[in-house]
Amino acid sequence: MADSAGAPRPSSSVKLVLLGEAAVGKSSLVLRFVNNDFQENKEPTIGAAFLTQKCNLPTRTIKFEIWDTAGQERFASLAPMYYRNAQAALVVYDLTKPTSLIKAKHWVAELQRQASPGIVIALVGNKLDLTNASAAAGGNSEEEDEESGGAAGGDGGDESGDARKISTEEAKTYAEEESLLFFETSAKTGHNVSEVFTAIANAIPETSLKSTRGPGASNAVSRGGDEQRVNLTGPRGDAAKDSCAC
Amino acid sequence: MESLGDEPWDVVICGTGLQQSLLALALSRSKKRILHTDPNDYYGQNEAALTLQDAESFAAKHAGGASSEVDEKKNVVRNAAVWKPDDAEAQGLKFPRAYSLALAPQIIHTKSKLLSSLVSSRAYRQVEFLAVGSFFVYEPAKDGSDPKLSRIPSSREDVFSSQSIPARSKRSLMKFLKFVLDFKSDDQRPIWEGHADSPLTDFLTAQFKLEDDLKRYVVALTMALDGKASVRSGLAAINRHLTSMGTFGPGFCAVYPKWGGLSEVAQVACRAGAVGGGIYMLDTSATVKPCSENAKASLELSNDITVEASSIIFGQDTTTGAEAISRLVAVVKSPLNSLFQVLVEGAPTPAVAVVALPSAPSPIYALVHSSDTGECPVGQCVVYLTTLATAESKHGLEQALAMLVKAVEGEESTVPCLYQLYYEQAIGDRKSTTENHGTSPAFSFPPLSASLAFEDSDLEAVKTAWSLILGDESDEETYLVFEDREGADAEDEVYE
Repeated sequence: MADSAGAPRPSSSVKLVLLGEAAVGKSSLVLRFVNNDFQENKEPTIGAAFLTQKCNLPTRTIKFEIWDTAGQERFASLAPMYYRNAQAALVVYDLTKPTSLIKAKHWVAELQRQASPGIVIALVGNKLDLTNASAAAGGNSEEEDEESGGAAGGDGGDESGDARKISTEEAKTYAEEESLLFFETSAKTGHNVSEVFTAIANAIPETSLKSTRGPGASNAVSRGGDEQRVNLTGPRGDAAKDSCAC
Repeated sequence: MESLGDEPWDVVICGTGLQQSLLALALSRSKKRILHTDPNDYYGQNEAALTLQDAESFAAKHAGGASSEVDEKKNVVRNAAVWKPDDAEAQGLKFPRAYSLALAPQIIHTKSKLLSSLVSSRAYRQVEFLAVGSFFVYEPAKDGSDPKLSRIPSSREDVFSSQSIPARSKRSLMKFLKFVLDFKSDDQRPIWEGHADSPLTDFLTAQFKLEDDLKRYVVALTMALDGKASVRSGLAAINRHLTSMGTFGPGFCAVYPKWGGLSEVAQVACRAGAVGGGIYMLDTSATVKPCSENAKASLELSNDITVEASSIIFGQDTTTGAEAISRLVAVVKSPLNSLFQVLVEGAPTPAVAVVALPSAPSPIYALVHSSDTGECPVGQCVVYLTTLATAESKHGLEQALAMLVKAVEGEESTVPCLYQLYYEQAIGDRKSTTENHGTSPAFSFPPLSASLAFEDSDLEAVKTAWSLILGDESDEETYLVFEDREGADAEDEVYE
């Protein structure tokens, strides 16, 4: 993301939630986006509450507050507070694992039921490095081509080296039907990862950015706005907030 | 379903009520392997926030009376029922998920240890707290005037500027407020200690010559459910009220977590448990299997998995105490705006108002929640009425609701009630219990206290359970004191 030397742009926080079957690479995608890092054989997520990352657009800066499921999706035990006020969701499947797309569709339905209307949902097929397309993909991303090729050969199992089980067409058609953003990514090589987040940032309507938190318009529009929120770190915090007078 | 049986669990926590959830939060950095289950498909148990659909299954589950199959014990939640008019939807009732009815609508005083624990454990960042605003007393019709709600002045400035209190009464009230602020000091103790267990009202007359109107204000502020606070407990309650004012900003002494009160705290605490590596399974009940004396306890889960646990945590769902409270949760189709005025400059818009209504044998308290709480759609309110349970209390609560609405909206008003959830909740003996299954201790949390404001004493059992599980590893200094996790930075909304 390029730095602009120009005037400061307005910045807004956006709550983004991750959803998807265990081990499809939800946390890895975020790790790639936030730290430009990837860990092989990563343990199931422990210790990540949420991560933040800024995304600079030409006219504004979006600061993503990225919430990880913390494993609570494993036994269908995500709490309403997880979805609440989310303005964006990343629903991830593993394009080498057919059940993971079924699961992803379930999460999309759940979001349409539970989350704020107007939430931007991106459907993401991850582990593109395990498919033949990874050659082309690798070409776009910078220095990790070799590593990626190696993994495709090693983990693919397929003679052609292509472990893909879900065609781009199938997932894309579904995404279009449900009006979802759609990407195929590799958290491992970084292919398409920042593109997903930039596309989400662009898709968030300007109107829902005016309030710091969530569109939430259907349910409870606060009459008092954000100033009704009580700051538990004391009145000092409030004063500091006032002085910023944005 | 993935396998769970192979894991040697250090702790299996059954139930996601507030105390079990806070325990999960307290253990979230301990490296203990924790399985946390709940028989319901929502978080919070008796502190949950329910959609209308959840409310119906809650009412069906707890429709029975006090008696249970076990010995002399009584069900904690009983006689539950839901009601709505036949044409509720036509009158304005929205879809079931537009509502979030709190089973634990307690207000939380700003000085409560619950808040300081949420801050020190960094869990507070995910909870939105709203201000609890004015306290009112219902004044029945007299001398030809309509019934009305009188706001209780709750600070010295407030008393000064009050138009309705005669000057002489103001002086006695000020004298009393000054005394309460300092009632535990050596100077003031002799004044009340001799009467500590007598009724507060008598003391107010004898010591401060307070008139009846002012006495009603003071007694209402104690929020004692029986309306008969003793001098000791009453002074402590009013002291808490006054000293909590202004802690987090002007004009309020208590806060309320948006989206359903303590339910939200339970959810956030469980999330912290999950972030720390705990495994969460809703919709799963657990029963202890018989085991030999020198083996770890086994629990059979309702999904046919059996797990071993070094220690087990439960919540008590039966109690020996006979006393109970009646609760009526009502959705009314009016924003009742006049209850949520900002009265002090710079104060946040309150989302909760407290109303005391006279009633026999015990008073009725109403906690009125605006749609800002996220518990109902805009244009509606949720009213939580509470009184001590008697054979007549349900009827009494329904009447009080009608009286309250008319006092706000005028005698002629016809504000419809769109939905009601009624239930009774045992007060219980509030003692935790520990028994052993094989070599594994099983600890049970008592039900939360039935009071209208969160009682810090409810946190004691959490610490007891925490010490029990950690044993020698428990270091008081680290209890609920955590660093922020990576990425959870406080800076927000700045231009760069």
